[in-house]
Amino acid sequence: MKIVICGGNHAADFIIKTFKGHQHQLIVINSSREAARYLTKVNQIPVFHGDYWRKYVLEDAHVEGADIFVALGYKDCDNFVACLSAKKLFGVKKCICIVNNPKNVDIFRELGVDSVISSTQMLAYSILSEASLENLIKAVSLEDDKIVMTEIIIKENYEIAHKKIMDISFPKTGNISCIYRQPNVIIPNGSTLILPKDKLAFVSTPQNQKEIINFIQRVRKN
Amino acid sequence: MKNNRLLKNKTLIVGCGRLGCSIANECCSEGKNVMAVDFNEDCFAGLSNKFSGYTFVGDVTDLSVLEEAYIASAKEIIITTGDDNVNLFVAYVARKIYDVPNIYVRLDDPNNAALIQGLKIKAIYPFELSFDKFNLIRGGSK
Repeated sequence: MKIVICGGNHAADFIIKTFKGHQHQLIVINSSREAARYLTKVNQIPVFHGDYWRKYVLEDAHVEGADIFVALGYKDCDNFVACLSAKKLFGVKKCICIVNNPKNVDIFRELGVDSVISSTQMLAYSILSEASLENLIKAVSLEDDKIVMTEIIIKENYEIAHKKIMDISFPKTGNISCIYRQPNVIIPNGSTLILPKDKLAFVSTPQNQKEIINFIQRVRKN
Repeated sequence: MKNNRLLKNKTLIVGCGRLGCSIANECCSEGKNVMAVDFNEDCFAGLSNKFSGYTFVGDVTDLSVLEEAYIASAKEIIITTGDDNVNLFVAYVARKIYDVPNIYVRLDDPNNAALIQGLKIKAIYPFELSFDKFNLIRGGSK
């Protein structure tokens, strides 16, 4: 894959290290001379020094037809114009950019950037999911938060413990995708027995997550 | 964000440097309903005593600032900040999100013309103007 990495200091460094040597062609551009020098030195690769939103810089760096274009600069507008140029003038297939202002996530997407990442927004979501769920539940969001994967530990007193999946009428809005029972991972079917201490992972939409958690955590009455 | 039912009657000036202020003054004297935005309050010193519009201080790359300055009811927007990338971004927002009927933008780099092609955004390039003027005055003195 041909990957273009623009701007950023530590973020660029990390991405270069992740993709270097995996048969990817990396093109690195940085508008700060010090950052460009630093990246060249620690990663032993050529780094173009220049304003990566300018047409002639992108031309010199031969970004045309790249598979992925990543803009990691500090100014949101610089990243936006870089992605726009890459897409419109150089036929780059996919653009990813980071933004400082979380409000820009939806706007940049609407204006044609394929993927927009805001660390502040991610932090906020993470705080939200940590705060709304108990400690023993972990959740991962997929596909821009349209799907969540939730992991939950079964306790002895839960109604569904010691029962087969086909007998518990699990809500139709979610699906049990796997059960982790040390040291095995079980891909469940209807006759799988749920036992205490199992780690149960299910997928659902965020809207239905709470309902399913409530279902699983129902306590047996006796 | 979009509200097409609003009456579009305002002239929005984004970036109040020398050019922005001069245009704002002129629009006011023509009796237009002018809104001027800049992140630096001191810039408004360039507005004349007769300026009768409204001024807003804020970062124009934040959409809430543009909304406060009534971008949704703008008939025309004139974008003249000192940063091409900010100008391009605001022009895109004005076209694609608020569909402002008339968009004018100043761009220092003529290469950026390719990015606004086909979007009905009218651009001014100071470089080209200076270059043409230079050729004209040199030609005149020969």
